[in-house]
Amino acid sequence: MASADKLINTDVPEKDVFALHFLQSLSNLRTQSPLNSPNKSIDRVRKIKKAAYVSMARAAGGTSRLWSRALLRRAAKDDNKSVRFSRRKRKVTWKISSKRKRSNQRAPVVEEAAERLRNLVPGGGGMETSKLMEETAHYIKCLSMQVKVMQCLVDGLSQK
Amino acid sequence: MDLTGGFGARSGGVGPCREPIGLESLHLGDEFRQLVTTLPPENAGGSFTALLELPPTQAVELLHFTDSSSSQVAAVTGIGGEIAPPLHSFGGTLAFPSNSVLMERAARFSVIATEQQNGNISGETPTSSVPSNSSANLDRVKTEPAETDSSQRLISDSAIENQIPSPSQNNRNGKRKDFEKKGKSSTKKNKSSEENEKLPYVHVRARRGQATDSHSLAERARREKINARMKLLQELVPGCDKIQGTALVLDEIINHVQSLQRQVEMLSMRLAAVNPRIDFNLDTILASENGSLMDGSFNGTPMQLAWPHQAIETEQSFHHRQLPPPPTQQWPFDGLNQPVWGREEDQADGNDNSNLMAVSENVMVASANLHPNQVKMEL
Repeated sequence: MASADKLINTDVPEKDVFALHFLQSLSNLRTQSPLNSPNKSIDRVRKIKKAAYVSMARAAGGTSRLWSRALLRRAAKDDNKSVRFSRRKRKVTWKISSKRKRSNQRAPVVEEAAERLRNLVPGGGGMETSKLMEETAHYIKCLSMQVKVMQCLVDGLSQK
Repeated sequence: MDLTGGFGARSGGVGPCREPIGLESLHLGDEFRQLVTTLPPENAGGSFTALLELPPTQAVELLHFTDSSSSQVAAVTGIGGEIAPPLHSFGGTLAFPSNSVLMERAARFSVIATEQQNGNISGETPTSSVPSNSSANLDRVKTEPAETDSSQRLISDSAIENQIPSPSQNNRNGKRKDFEKKGKSSTKKNKSSEENEKLPYVHVRARRGQATDSHSLAERARREKINARMKLLQELVPGCDKIQGTALVLDEIINHVQSLQRQVEMLSMRLAAVNPRIDFNLDTILASENGSLMDGSFNGTPMQLAWPHQAIETEQSFHHRQLPPPPTQQWPFDGLNQPVWGREEDQADGNDNSNLMAVSENVMVASANLHPNQVKMEL
C-alpha cells in the first residue's frame, strides 16, 4: 500500500510481512503456553491480543514509528521475558510542556479531538497535534492490515 | 539603488564595520567618500553612532540631489509626507532643525536599509526569499509600523531620485509592508501562503489582509500543517469525504480507530476459540493462510511435502527433539524477508510454488530453531 502523499510518508509494508510476524508470534506463544498451561480462555485471548499488537508493531517498522515504539515499550514493561525491546536513548522533549500551555489558543475543537486520539493511539501522550495525526494515519493503516491478516487466519482455520 | 546600497553598507556595519561595498558605485564627490570611509573606523566601538551620524550627511547629499532635479522634488513632496517638506526646505543649506529628528529617522533607516540591502543584494533572487527576510525584520519594525512606512517612502524616494535601473523592484522591496497594508501592488495581490514541509524552515507568505505577526504566521503555518494531515486522514477513513466540518470528521476518525481496535479484540477471541489448545499446526495454518492471502494458484500439498518431519510434531517433541544449531542471525525480517516475499509476488504463477516452498521452509526452520530456553521470544 503506497501512500499518495509525497510529503508525509505513511507507507506500511505488505500484508505478508504482517502475516509473517503474526504467525511467528503465535508459534512462540505456542511454545510458551505448555509451560504455563493456561486453561482459562481469557488469558489465552489476552495473550493472543497482545501477540497481535506486538507483531503489528514490529511489522509496521519496529522502532521507527512513535506509536510502535510506545506499544513495544508498554509490552516490554509488562513482561520482560517475552518481548525483546531494546531501549533507545530518550530524547528530551521539552516542547510539550510549553506547547500544552498554549493549547487553548489553538482551535479547541481540534485540540479536544486530539486529546481523545491521544488516549487511543499508543504513545500519543507526548506528541504535538500535527505529529499525532501523522501517527494516527500510519496506525490506522497498520491496524486495518492486521485486521485483514487475522480475518484470513480465522477464516482459514475455521474452514478446516 | 546606489544610495541605498550605501545605506545598506552602513547599516550592515552595525556589528562589525564592513568595507562600504556600494561606495564604488556611488558617483559622489571625493570629500563625501572620505567622510564615509573615515567615519566607520572612527567609531569602531560604537558603530551605531556611526550609523546615526552618517545618514544625516547622506541626507545632506540627498538634498543636493534634490536640487538638481526639480521635477523629482515634486515627487518627493508628493510622496514624502512629513519628512520630505522639512528636508526640502533646507535646499542647499546644511542647517538641520534638529539633529535628533534625523537621528530617529536614521535609526529607522538602519533597520529598513538592512531590509533593503537584503532585498537589493540578493537582487534577482526569487521573491520567496524576500518575504522571509521581511518577516524576520518584521519583528524589529513591528513596534513602529507608522514611522517605517514613512521612512520606507523616503528610501523609495531616494531610489526614484537617483534613477535606479529597476525602480519597480526597489519599490516592491521597500514598500512591501505598505502594500500588504494598503493593497496597492499588483504583484503581491495574489500571494499564497506556501508551506514546504521538507525544508527545516517554513516559508510562509502572508496573505492579503492578514496579520503579519510572527506569532500569527507560525500559527497559520501550524494550522495548515494540521489541515493537510487531516485531509490525509480523511482519505484513509472510508466515508469521511462526504462529511463537512472538521469536528465531525475528527469524530469519524476516532470512531474508526476504536472500531479497528475492537475488531482486533474480537478476532483474537475468535482465534482463541478456534484453537482451544493453541497448538497450531503451522503447516496447516500456512496452507490456509497462503490460500487466502496469495493470489496465485497455490495448493497446500507442496508445503506438506517440504517438511515431512514436522507433520507429526507434537508439543513434547518440539521441546525434546534434537534441534539443529540456531542460525547466527536473529531472523532479520526487513532485510531478508521482504525481498523474498516481494520476489515471489513478482514472478509468474509457475514459479510461485517453488518460492513459496522456500519461504515457508525458511519460516519453519527458523521457528523450529528457536530453542525455547534460548529465545527471548520475538513475539
